[in-house]
Amino acid sequence: MNGEAILPYLIIIPLFGAFSMPMVNLLGRKSREAWAVIISGATLAVGSAMFYSVWENRGIIVYTLGAKSPLGQANFPIRIVWEVDLFGALMVFMVTLVSFLAVLYSLGYMKHDTGLDKYYTLIIILELGMLGIAITGDLFNFYVFLEIMSIASYALVAFRNDTWEGIEAGIKYMFVGSIASAFILLGIALLYGQYGTLTMSYLALKLAESPSVTAKVALALFIAGLLFKSGASPVHMWLADAHPAAPSSISAMLSGLVIKIGGIYALARILFSIYGASISVKTVGWVIIIFACITLVIGNAMAVIQNDMKRLLAYSSVGQIGYILLGLGIGLAAYGSQTGEIAMAGAIYHTFNHALMKALLFLVAGAVIHQLGTRNLNELSGIAKTMPKTTFAFLIGAAAIIGMPPLNGFASKWLIYESSAIFNPILGAIAIIGTAFCTAAYVRVLYTFFGRPSESVMKAKDPEGTMLWPIILLVVAIIVMGLFPWQISEKIMIPAVKALENQLAYVSTVLGGA
Amino acid sequence: MKRTIAYLSLLFILGALLYIANPNYGLKFGPGGSEWLALRYTDNYYITHGLKEVGGMNIVTDIVFDYRGYDTIGEATVLFTAIAGAIALLRPWRRDEA
Repeated sequence: MNGEAILPYLIIIPLFGAFSMPMVNLLGRKSREAWAVIISGATLAVGSAMFYSVWENRGIIVYTLGAKSPLGQANFPIRIVWEVDLFGALMVFMVTLVSFLAVLYSLGYMKHDTGLDKYYTLIIILELGMLGIAITGDLFNFYVFLEIMSIASYALVAFRNDTWEGIEAGIKYMFVGSIASAFILLGIALLYGQYGTLTMSYLALKLAESPSVTAKVALALFIAGLLFKSGASPVHMWLADAHPAAPSSISAMLSGLVIKIGGIYALARILFSIYGASISVKTVGWVIIIFACITLVIGNAMAVIQNDMKRLLAYSSVGQIGYILLGLGIGLAAYGSQTGEIAMAGAIYHTFNHALMKALLFLVAGAVIHQLGTRNLNELSGIAKTMPKTTFAFLIGAAAIIGMPPLNGFASKWLIYESSAIFNPILGAIAIIGTAFCTAAYVRVLYTFFGRPSESVMKAKDPEGTMLWPIILLVVAIIVMGLFPWQISEKIMIPAVKALENQLAYVSTVLGGA
Repeated sequence: MKRTIAYLSLLFILGALLYIANPNYGLKFGPGGSEWLALRYTDNYYITHGLKEVGGMNIVTDIVFDYRGYDTIGEATVLFTAIAGAIALLRPWRRDEA
């Protein structure tokens, strides 16, 4: 299949869906829900076709908006380009998959809420923003889509405006997020002032030709802003408020996708594809590693002491972001070696796996809250009796996130452990400590779930079909991916790392071998 | 304590930004002549070819709606999102309707 021909539909379909939602809404509730499912389903179809096409051809898709070539009559890019390598395509697939499941889940979960036309509009725009980030090859365009994603997520976090925590978390998230976005915009402005181009690949060339202090300051601003967006410690506090306060379908998207696309993916893209040749990757790698270690320990340790189920999951997300950052940091610090490649493969693999696992766990938490109306773990004892399917799904998700061998989390965490132990045994030890905390947190939840049923739990039952099916699909995906861990790593993740590390190919595809 | 560190880091960021604002080793302000072509080659292209390639007399609208029209779609989406979000958050509370 021709990836270049279908690439625009990745933006056109959700854009059309979001802008037509207010009109479709006039036809009534059923058509609005059907429209949201159709749009996100069609996006999933395009996204998976695109992923398959990029994976099959092992190339980089470049698409110029408005012309055949990005260059015009000059020897530098003058138009906006999309540039999708295997890493970007993998992120596209991840976003479309989890978004589709979240929309499907919302049909049942959001039934009792008002303002649902706005809700479906915003959830499709959230997906659109993430897709735009994943496919773009232009720095300012990246910022625009980062803002689309961020603004949609601020509104969705505070969507339940009759709860005090929704509004509080929304305000906190908005203030912190706006400052982080401002950092990134300032970085882009500095780079444009110094180098006069906004295309990522041409900027990489310019940076390598004439490194400057301005570029280093801009890099510092990018790293600061993107660490905010990914919820790394010590700037993770917004995440621990925003993820529990949002509706669960949104938490699944925020935790599974937003922090990775807006944080990890963008960080990897900027560090590898733009700055790869012009900075000391070792220094930057160690900066990332230090933040990763703090994040790893704090996130997982804070998860152990939570009494609120969704807050526990949110802190666990912080902890898992720590693993991904550790892989990314080692991938940079050991750039070009076998160890670095394995670490980066582990990071990308864990990004994908964590999106599935954390989406599953948040959807399960949503189902529990929907049935019982409480998130307090102490009141949830014994739901294994009355909600067996939900509890089983949680068991699978928890086992996967800890990294039990038959499930998908094992392979990705193993790659990170292995490479960190080879790179520096202390980092390996820190990673193991993080997992110990993570195990404690999840075992504690499972212990509660399998305890003696309490009074309020007795009348609970498994959720309805639209809420159960996304959960089942995610469980199946986690188990199936767990059966072929090394094949997936060999066939998808390692080539994705190779594509990311091959900066020359990234640059020369746009400039036409120049 | 936290506040002191925050002000100190703000001061540091300001210092770094002031440092690179020096034209000798950082950003050039008002580049002209050969510097214009070295730093603003993209702008120069738009000014020279804009009229012929796009057909508008106004370079800014040529760029905003043609060369970089996709960003404008994005900005429109940002506004749409902001409006949808504001309306969504300002809707009446659930318990008020019952």
